[in-house]
Amino acid sequence: MKKILQLSLGIITSVGGFLEIGSVTTAAQAGAQFGYKLLWAILLGTLCLIFLIEMSGRLAAVSKHTIVDAIRERFGFPFFFFVLLGTVLVAFMVLVAELGGIGFALQILTGIRFPWWALPVSFVVWLLMWKGTFSLIENGASLLGLVTVSFVVAALRLNPDWTSAASGLLPTLPDDDKSKYWFLAVSILGASISPYLMFFYSSGAIEDKWDRTYLPINRVIAAFGMTFGGFLSMAVLIVAALALRPKGIQVETFQQAALMMTTALPKWGFYLFALSMLFACFGAALEISLAISYFFSQGFGWNWSEDVEPSSDARFAFVYTLIIGFAAVPLMFGVDPIKITMMSMALTSATLPLAIVPFLFLMNDPIYLGKHRNGWISNTVVGVVILISFVLAVVSIPLEIMGG
Amino acid sequence: MHLVRDVLDKKLMDREDCPMGRVGGLVMHVGESGPPRVTHILVGGPTLWMRIHPALGRLSSALGQMWGPRRKEPAKIPWSRVETVGREVKLDVEGKDTGALDWEIWVARHIIEHIPGGGSEEEE
Amino acid sequence: MKRLLFATVILLVSCKPPTPAEQMDAILSWVGSAIVLGNGWLRHTTPDTYTRQTLTLSHDQLRQIGAELLKSPPATIDSTELDGALTRSGTHLARMAQLVEARNSPGFNQVLDSLELDQKALKQLSDKIESSQ
Repeated sequence: MKKILQLSLGIITSVGGFLEIGSVTTAAQAGAQFGYKLLWAILLGTLCLIFLIEMSGRLAAVSKHTIVDAIRERFGFPFFFFVLLGTVLVAFMVLVAELGGIGFALQILTGIRFPWWALPVSFVVWLLMWKGTFSLIENGASLLGLVTVSFVVAALRLNPDWTSAASGLLPTLPDDDKSKYWFLAVSILGASISPYLMFFYSSGAIEDKWDRTYLPINRVIAAFGMTFGGFLSMAVLIVAALALRPKGIQVETFQQAALMMTTALPKWGFYLFALSMLFACFGAALEISLAISYFFSQGFGWNWSEDVEPSSDARFAFVYTLIIGFAAVPLMFGVDPIKITMMSMALTSATLPLAIVPFLFLMNDPIYLGKHRNGWISNTVVGVVILISFVLAVVSIPLEIMGG
Repeated sequence: MHLVRDVLDKKLMDREDCPMGRVGGLVMHVGESGPPRVTHILVGGPTLWMRIHPALGRLSSALGQMWGPRRKEPAKIPWSRVETVGREVKLDVEGKDTGALDWEIWVARHIIEHIPGGGSEEEE
Repeated sequence: MKRLLFATVILLVSCKPPTPAEQMDAILSWVGSAIVLGNGWLRHTTPDTYTRQTLTLSHDQLRQIGAELLKSPPATIDSTELDGALTRSGTHLARMAQLVEARNSPGFNQVLDSLELDQKALKQLSDKIESSQ
């Protein structure tokens, strides 16, 4: 009974926690500019994520190590530090973007511009980390995040031509603006395959004391949770394609993104969009802060747990206090969260091999996984997608900057 | 025992099963006769940074003298205190007495406990 | 890692300048946004503050991109015509923001109609630029 409850909760929290400013911005831009043509990128990213999340849970349940524990122990400190540097820098940028997303949501609701919200928002995020427990954060934020299901409702209301939409699931080249197309593809992949999700998931599995009996649940949560989450991203793209593209509206700003919902759901669309972004970005900000703190604490062997008083895991608490504080700074100076979002999504793609390649080594190591090592399917899917993401990122980021 | 694979970078647990950090380094004694043997486990910043580059190790040491618990040396735990080596390295010591938790205690007392709701280390 | 740093530095230091076609697309995007927003406001589906601020943003963006475009307008179009269309649109956007503040729906509706005509004129100019590229 307890396992069924955990299963349901796991799927719900995966769905509620899936969307954040990166996935919404990239999907909205893709839909507004290229219609259905980039649905394949969301499909590919989600597929890869399903495998990665399942692997994260399996590693934790079988080896009783989080991903970071295992990277430090298997590869040693110097390599671990190298991975920490790259992964944490990009994750920090994403955190700034998420806090900015919360600020933007509050801006469109109240009229008070987002730089003014930077400090109060950071304070609330910090306070939830300081006083909250892992369950409260994971479950509470994700349950609130279920309001993002309104994007699916919006997509259905707009009556898409499903045959046309389905054709977008296979990669097709656009007629023009190819460099923007590939840049968006890379950004969508970076938005879907976020390493911080994996670190968070494996830490959660350890906090919840998973063992081998949780392996079936883990598979179901990864498959269903991430699939439904992927549908949410696709819904955003479809809504943008139908509501914004015919009117020539590009999504350069958060304020323009809101218009896709005001068109699809006239009465409540605006408020549903604002609340969706508010809760989705909140949940993501909490997850990323935790994931970064976990990275430091697990890597260096400090106490870490969301379920104890801060003084019992002082360095863990100190890290998240510092990073949340620092993350507010660029926003206070008015740095555009949308620009940070697009940059951080593309950089995530470019730095994926840093986190994923060591992880793949671990998942094939009999010392950690025993007979539960990866099969050829997991290795192939993840290996291929990471390679594609990396190559596309390295090629498309400079192209987008210097002109296709 | 394969020292690098089985001991280095492993988590350290004290006699009360409290985490004490990770094995940062090992001190070995090379005698005139017999094989080299491990005498101490090292825990702490400078040892770790030294593994990336000696200059970083020296920088870490210098910074460590300026603030924080101001240890003159990294925490050194005699190898004789090792009970078992498995998923973790279990030690027959009290974590707080080894110096391995000096930074944790310092951050708790000087920073965390001054923030409302931070709790108190001594209440445990 | 080196390639990543290189890409980041390039990103920060030099952004590619947009083409005239891209600039027109951006202008049309802002005008289109204002029209969707305006219709939404008239139906009471978007709040006053958000509407007013976004209309002001549209106006500012239009002015900025328009000024850049007029520095070196494409030869295929009449730059006076372009200037006129941009100025009219800008004026209408500013007026709409004021009317939202005054909660004057009938007045707003009239200016919105004028903006829709501006959109048609700008679209024709944009098509001319696109076809020449």
